[in-house]
Amino acid sequence: MTAAAQNELETDVEVRPDGRARVVFRGRLNEQTVVGCWGLLEKELPRTKVETLQVDVSGLGFCDAAGLTLLLYLNMGRMTPQATVSVFGLKADLEKIFRELTLEDHEAFHPQSAIKSDSFVEKMGRKVRQMNKDFQEEMDFLGAVVASLPLSIFHPKRSRWTETRRIVELAGANAVPIVSLMSLLLGFIIAFESARRLAEFGAQLYVANTIMVVMVRDMGPLMTAILLAGRTGSSFAAVLGTMKINEELDALETFGLDPIPFLVVPRILAGVFVTPLLTFYSILMGVIGGVIVMLELGFALPLILHQLASSVHLNDLGAGIAKSAVFGVIVSAVGCWYGLRTQQGPSAVGLSTTRAVVTSLLLIIVADAFFSAISYLLK
Amino acid sequence: MMNAPDDIAISVKDLTVGYEDNVILQNVNFQVRRGEVFVILGVSGSGKSTLLKAMIGLYPPMSGEVWIDGGNLWAAQGKERLSLLRKFGVMYQSGALFGSITVLENVRLPLDEFSNLPDPLKEVAALARLKLVGLGDAADKMPAELSGGMQKRAAIARAMALDPRILFLDEPSAGLDPITSAGIDLLITSLHHFGFTFVIVSHELPSIYSIADRVVMLGSGAKGIIAQGKPAELRDGAADPWVRRFFNRQPDPSHSLETS
Repeated sequence: MTAAAQNELETDVEVRPDGRARVVFRGRLNEQTVVGCWGLLEKELPRTKVETLQVDVSGLGFCDAAGLTLLLYLNMGRMTPQATVSVFGLKADLEKIFRELTLEDHEAFHPQSAIKSDSFVEKMGRKVRQMNKDFQEEMDFLGAVVASLPLSIFHPKRSRWTETRRIVELAGANAVPIVSLMSLLLGFIIAFESARRLAEFGAQLYVANTIMVVMVRDMGPLMTAILLAGRTGSSFAAVLGTMKINEELDALETFGLDPIPFLVVPRILAGVFVTPLLTFYSILMGVIGGVIVMLELGFALPLILHQLASSVHLNDLGAGIAKSAVFGVIVSAVGCWYGLRTQQGPSAVGLSTTRAVVTSLLLIIVADAFFSAISYLLK
Repeated sequence: MMNAPDDIAISVKDLTVGYEDNVILQNVNFQVRRGEVFVILGVSGSGKSTLLKAMIGLYPPMSGEVWIDGGNLWAAQGKERLSLLRKFGVMYQSGALFGSITVLENVRLPLDEFSNLPDPLKEVAALARLKLVGLGDAADKMPAELSGGMQKRAAIARAMALDPRILFLDEPSAGLDPITSAGIDLLITSLHHFGFTFVIVSHELPSIYSIADRVVMLGSGAKGIIAQGKPAELRDGAADPWVRRFFNRQPDPSHSLETS
């Protein structure tokens, strides 16, 4: 026999070699005393294979929810698997609650069924089917957008220009400060880095050419698109996702309003309009950043401007701007697509936003690589 | 520190709550007795939810006091405040279950954070609470898989996780069908028999008649309590005709569409 007295609880644990065990509680069984006697029970009870366990609580003066939980735990046989357990001596009021809560059917809480591991082929098949379904849905979405665009363009009265204007302001005008800072610093970085290398060849004047070519053809459109993906694409996904969860999209549909022309088209139009403008502005700010560095290096402003003007053609600027319009479509469409696909649950909007940003970035880089290859081949 | 007699669970004294210059409730006074089902009711916009938020420590009052189990909630700091917060559990109107974890994990969460019980016992404690609200077989489900009534039951189970003696329920029957709503009423009545004190915000009359020991009624323009007592008494004998109309579900004649 082992006896333990701690605080207000006395616990006797007796385990006989024939498999019969008896636990006696006296005093107060509350959270503090349960924690105190837990170690003793855990140490003594599983020592021998227990076949019958009797828990005598007739000496308990007080038992709270924590105490009741311990009794339930013992009664469920969690500490003495395969043993027949009986708890006796409970006061009438506690007995009622205890019987109400008896978790004899505790296995029902953890159904072991339905956990079946699939074979590799099954997993692959399911994945391919899902990819096929996703692709079909993406094409449906793209088709619906393309079908809705002419209506918006050729029937301007039916378009939601107020909404488009609001989005242009949010995605465009409000992004000007961050684009300014990012592009100016980008101009500084390109100028400083190229100046160091070109100085080795006595060709620092060509820093102007480097900045102009890099900003106009690639960094301007690319960095602006990346910024828009993080700032605007994510916002589109979050707004449409929240609308879906709040059943606002269902409300639109029951009015007979299709969410694509109503919500998606204004965002895509705003994206196509805003991205080239921001890109042009970004190029300008990047070049200004480079010019500031060149002035610091001691070059005269007319010389720098002449060098800048001679380094790119109007075609290059046109290609950069055209590319940015495509990036704008990608960012807006992907943001809206993931927003409309948002599932239920609190993490769903976060998931849609993350997917929108990651997919946008990936598609932007893929599109940029495609444009670079085309441009090289056309030369 | 002790301010309330032993049979008083909650005491609200001269409570004034509002937003900036907009006073919603002024000098509200009432007491909730231990083991009582106490209902706060009133029309939309009368300040029921604001009062509840002030009583559970979410919305600071402009003035006045809320005493819970003899402790002044808004004057308490640090550990004292934490121990007062543990004296009650709250079920929010939407359930407010954490959607990314299972129902069992929802109920277990407060135990994991605040209880010293050994881990295996925490699980059994959470299961027992779910069983108590009739959700024993929904333990492994995600909240989104539950119906509205089941979510409210799970939220009640979570509110009981730390074994509080007082439960605040915000609109437990709102948005539920009559059968599910009656099931929630029955659950409240059963838990009441286990000695819980309930403070319930509601305006569901059938539910109020079925469960409430006492009610206070907030008036929309009055910025305070316009009636209190047993629901049947207020229905039949309230001095204010508006209160009688409310309890008898009679429309306000001034709002009638008929012009003749």
